[in-house]
Amino acid sequence: MNQITRPSFRGPLERIDDVTLRIPRSYKPGMLVDGTIFADDRLLPLIQGDQAAEQVANVACLPGIQIASLAMPDIHWGYGFCIGGVCGTDPAAGGVVSPGGVGYDINCGVRLVRTSLTLDEVRPLIVPLVDQLMRDIPVGVGQGGRRVFSPEELRALMQEGVPFLARLGLATAEDVACVEAEGCLPDAEPGLVSDRALARGADQCGTVGAGNHFIEVQVVDRVEDEAVAAAFGLRTGQICVLIHSGSRGLGYQVCDDALRALREAPAKYGITLPDRQLVCAPIASPEGRAYLGAMRAAANYAFCNRQLLMWQVREVFERVFGNPWESLGMTLLYDVAHNIAKFEEHAVAGVHKEVCVHRKGATRSFPAGHHDIPEPYRAFGQPVIIPGDMGRASWVLVGGPRSLERSFGTTCHGAGRCLSRTAATKAAQGRDIRTELERAGVIARSRSREGLAEEQPAAYKDVDVVVDVVHRAGLSLKVARLTPLGVIKG
Amino acid sequence: MFEVFEHTADLGVRVEASSFAELLADAASGLSTVIAGDLDQVRPEVVETFAVPGSDPAWLLFDFLGELHAAFELRRMLFRDFAVTVTDDGIQATARGERYDPARHVLAHEVKAITQHELSVERSAAGVLATFIVDI
Repeated sequence: MNQITRPSFRGPLERIDDVTLRIPRSYKPGMLVDGTIFADDRLLPLIQGDQAAEQVANVACLPGIQIASLAMPDIHWGYGFCIGGVCGTDPAAGGVVSPGGVGYDINCGVRLVRTSLTLDEVRPLIVPLVDQLMRDIPVGVGQGGRRVFSPEELRALMQEGVPFLARLGLATAEDVACVEAEGCLPDAEPGLVSDRALARGADQCGTVGAGNHFIEVQVVDRVEDEAVAAAFGLRTGQICVLIHSGSRGLGYQVCDDALRALREAPAKYGITLPDRQLVCAPIASPEGRAYLGAMRAAANYAFCNRQLLMWQVREVFERVFGNPWESLGMTLLYDVAHNIAKFEEHAVAGVHKEVCVHRKGATRSFPAGHHDIPEPYRAFGQPVIIPGDMGRASWVLVGGPRSLERSFGTTCHGAGRCLSRTAATKAAQGRDIRTELERAGVIARSRSREGLAEEQPAAYKDVDVVVDVVHRAGLSLKVARLTPLGVIKG
Repeated sequence: MFEVFEHTADLGVRVEASSFAELLADAASGLSTVIAGDLDQVRPEVVETFAVPGSDPAWLLFDFLGELHAAFELRRMLFRDFAVTVTDDGIQATARGERYDPARHVLAHEVKAITQHELSVERSAAGVLATFIVDI
């Protein structure tokens, strides 16, 4: 296959402070607010390298958008919305909901599982552990899960979220309490999820999938904030497991169905869009309400997917280490969504109002004291989990003091790609990524050659730099850094 | 003829052909290649037909690719050879391929969806030019 190159962004990026850039509202006709990108000078060339900043400007044209079209430092080119984008719209001001502002992988997200195991205990068994994870947990294209849910079961699962799995004995009350929204977005409407979506999702709950999804065994290599780390149950040398997946084919189909259903909505409601992938409908419209109902159902499926993955991880650890998961201390730190739209109360120009916050590759990051944070963490702030790449590091952060005022209580969601898939594949030619990782102390298993080549560490920005920006911006603060020991991928 | 172009997180496919019918067939090969990698591993054992109604070329392309994608997602069908006929009210297509066999096929990508981002069909010097981006 031949390749052609991607265009770069040549529009204005005005520096406001050392971590904030602005695209002025005057940049293009139709912008209702400024664009704001959180980035320092280290990240600026990468941001200018593709069309993500143009997409930030396009999102600023959406009716009812509040304050600014925002982007996190892990921003990169998406479709319609950039990845790393945040957009709050006011339902009372004709605000819209846009499926592109959530993405195909509705409630793609991560969860971090603690263990009481140490590096010394796991290092000698890391190869059999990763191989067992690869054998027992469905990962990769076309790999179905152990459970096939009937349409009726799927509807109940999508209505109730993780508490549905608790009734089946596949989640504990403690698990439920440590999932964003306690694992269930209210007002889900599974009846609005199509038969095609149900069919795609029937055997995929409890599967990793492919692309950038993974399960990774990690070790806490550095604690930055002892008090918060202690409250989060983290300490140096501790083994954790990071799970990254979303709503699988069911969610992709819900988004696809919504984009088709909304094709005519912009014309119907007199909305002019700079990119058809920004297709949207007023929140108060029948089309907008229908999307929100189906999206919430898919989001609940995604919470359940990660729960079933965690359950399988626990079973693998039991098998490899010969002890029940409870005695291995395998408790859930937290589960956060990356791709979602939620109604939240925020202050806009000094007025508290309900805003529909679209997070597309961005993480909720509520500060200490917020009522939506689980009680054990509330005095410290919401745990934020930031996956990096499979060769360097990931981070646990805590919701920062300025997140509500600056970003609708939001922070970054990862390192963010800096190489396209085609460029990463080209860079991997003649190399053995698996062996390179092994030499660096990371045992990697993947179903496909593309899985490792396209997701190699060099394809991503340095997560330490990205995290440094959100820390300095006060969106979320550093708690602990984790490094990879083993990973399974599609 | 199709080529893959760079898109940071996803993959774009650009197709150029002398006619719209040929363009649709080449676009289908492009999508199959993104999913399966090497199409030589796919045997043309069964023939399936697809009918897509409509008249807008971009939406016809989008909906046709969507049907092929659904055939893999719902029935695990991989295709390699395509023939398309364009009519006044839509398209008729045949596709040859086989069901995915995990023991024999090594797939390249999980395509989440065909996106509408930068979806286009336009006239070109050689005939017709189309682009589409798939979400990976």
